[in-house]
Amino acid sequence: MSSLVAPEGANRRYVVRTLAFMTGYVAVNVAAILGAFDEIIGTPAGMLLGLAVAAPIAGQIWATVAFMNEADEFMRTLMAKRFIVAAGLAFALFSGWGFMESYGDAPHAPGWIVYALFWGLYGLVTPFIRTSR
Amino acid sequence: MKELRSQRGWTQEQLGRAIGVSRQAVNALETEKHDPSLDLAYRISAVFGEPVEAIFTNPHAPDTLSG
Repeated sequence: MSSLVAPEGANRRYVVRTLAFMTGYVAVNVAAILGAFDEIIGTPAGMLLGLAVAAPIAGQIWATVAFMNEADEFMRTLMAKRFIVAAGLAFALFSGWGFMESYGDAPHAPGWIVYALFWGLYGLVTPFIRTSR
Repeated sequence: MKELRSQRGWTQEQLGRAIGVSRQAVNALETEKHDPSLDLAYRISAVFGEPVEAIFTNPHAPDTLSG
């Protein structure tokens, strides 16, 4: 039998986890923009900085999956459907842009855009995916 | 399901708490936007004290298939 987790507890945990990870993501980026890491940019240490910025993204995806596990079956199915559609669209759009760069004259789009693109698309598809069927 | 809930004077929130799902899930069940799992159907059945098939239509019942 599936667990009877209070849905409002799952919501709260998701919001707290997301805020925690996104605070880290924004803080490291703002510090980099303000020049806090200028001396390591372009060096091997800069690669570690890049990974450090990306780590909260993995954390936020974990928070989303944890929320799906804790949510009830309807919310879990709804989130999974939205996640899959948004991820598929993000893959298609970003790959398309990459090919436009390779074969056309499209300006270069940095890879980190895909994360914002995915959540933007998630927000966009949400009003259209309202049933678990 | 909505009828059974209304008869008992419960809100969607109260029913959701009783069966361990969100208010949105109760709303989705009542508006046929979600087919419950067997586990959830049994929980709903237990809360209302009614057999599952008195609450949900069995699409695989012989009379439904022949009709």
